[in-house]
Amino acid sequence: MKYGTVLALGMLLAGQAAAQSPAPVAPQASPPTLETVEPLAGEGILGKSVWGAGGENMGLVTDVIVDQGGVPQAAVIDFGGFLGVGSRKIAVDWSLLQFQPGNDKMPVKLSLNPAALKSAPEYKPSDQSIKIVGPPPDMK
Amino acid sequence: MKWWRGPGAAGRGLDGLNLLVANVQTGFGPFIAVYLTTRGWTQTSIGLALTIGTVTAMASQIPAGALVDAVQRKTTIAAASILAFTASALLLAVAPQPLPVYLAEMLHGFSSCTLGPAIAAMSLALAGGKALGARLGRNARYASIGNAMGAALMGACGYLLSSQSVFFLAAALTLPTVLTLGPLRAVDQPVDERRKAKAVRAPLRAVLADRRLVTFAACAMLFTCGNAAMLPLAGAAITKGEPTEASLLVAAFIVLPQLIVAALSPAIGELAQTRGRRPILILGFCVLPLRGAAFSTIANPFYLLPVQLLDGISAACLAVLVPLVVSDISAWSGHYNLSLGVVGFAIGIGAASSTMIAGPIADRFGDPAALIFLTMVALAATLLAAVAMPETARNW
Repeated sequence: MKYGTVLALGMLLAGQAAAQSPAPVAPQASPPTLETVEPLAGEGILGKSVWGAGGENMGLVTDVIVDQGGVPQAAVIDFGGFLGVGSRKIAVDWSLLQFQPGNDKMPVKLSLNPAALKSAPEYKPSDQSIKIVGPPPDMK
Repeated sequence: MKWWRGPGAAGRGLDGLNLLVANVQTGFGPFIAVYLTTRGWTQTSIGLALTIGTVTAMASQIPAGALVDAVQRKTTIAAASILAFTASALLLAVAPQPLPVYLAEMLHGFSSCTLGPAIAAMSLALAGGKALGARLGRNARYASIGNAMGAALMGACGYLLSSQSVFFLAAALTLPTVLTLGPLRAVDQPVDERRKAKAVRAPLRAVLADRRLVTFAACAMLFTCGNAAMLPLAGAAITKGEPTEASLLVAAFIVLPQLIVAALSPAIGELAQTRGRRPILILGFCVLPLRGAAFSTIANPFYLLPVQLLDGISAACLAVLVPLVVSDISAWSGHYNLSLGVVGFAIGIGAASSTMIAGPIADRFGDPAALIFLTMVALAATLLAAVAMPETARNW
């Protein structure tokens, strides 16, 4: 139960996040600060395409798994399939992902190739413990 | 020669209609989930949108059938249904926000339920009761070619352009689809006059209480329950076993059975006319447990491909038999489309329960266990058909 306390939360675009999970605000607090993030410094990743080490399309980011402190542990990727048939969701360790905000062609890179995901267990949100595909031991 | 004139124009129109409708419908399949994912939708909201579509389609089956029975001109209701597809595809392409998507799903769910029966009714009007089997075989051939073309076109569009372009393509394809109805207006008329001459409809009770209709609906429901979850389960097994070629293999799994349907369905339609409906029903049903047994025991996806071809045999038989058997039972009554709606509703229940039961079994006991369950259901469907379903053709 390594990830027993891990919470699965969709990391949403800023607007949706505000609509769906408003941050608790103290009753008489001063107005929240507003931070401006330049396009190249950050962007939402839900639904962005994931590209493998060899430049192959690996699928789409469908969810982000964070721990209690809100630190991302893994991304859930919808992998493979044709016109929506036969795809499989796999959770991959956050450290395997590189993000390239503003790069529309390859917004997310995964340092694994499709063959490495061959025997990966399917991600099932209903499971008690979440199985996350991590980096190979020699990369750690 | 202009295709929309001269002898056989209505037949060619119906060919084209089946081809293009199937083409358009490919865009409304599981691909919607992929598209909404690329638009930043969460899996929960995608599930809700798809459920709205499914529930609408289920709830519409029988009322939509009654509506098609009530409307004199089937070409009018077919045109309205196709234009609803246009609106639905454009809504999905232009406004992938919750409300427009829900509306698009509802529009598509309802108009699918009016278009299917309308096509069956136009086929019956065109071919007449005696030649309906052959006509339905032709319908199935063109529909399966349309499915394969749709998968190829929309797969290419999604891969090369964007997932949004798939829905613009679907919307664009609805326009030639409406044009194919032109030559069909000629066959639309005589039926109305015949019906006016009769001007009587059998009481609804007499049709719905027909034991053959109830048995056939039960058979179709059990068969679909065994069938619907089989390809997704096998598809997931392929992506697991062969990830590099997975997309290509899944595409082959979808397209190849369609080619089998295209090749076989005219012959199956003829056979249903000359040899009766029962042998075709048993043939179409009994290959499903075979397919399930092979899927649950063979692991290599390349060996599974020929097994998947068996799906083409089942699909061809069912595509011919559902409108044909229902016409045997109820075409005389003025409630043909409503009866088709009843069978469609049963098929919908079968499809929904298939994934609802097989999914948890696969989660808890693994994919092979789920496939064995589906095989058992398929076996039950075959037994029910063999024991309880009588021949419905009048000459036997």
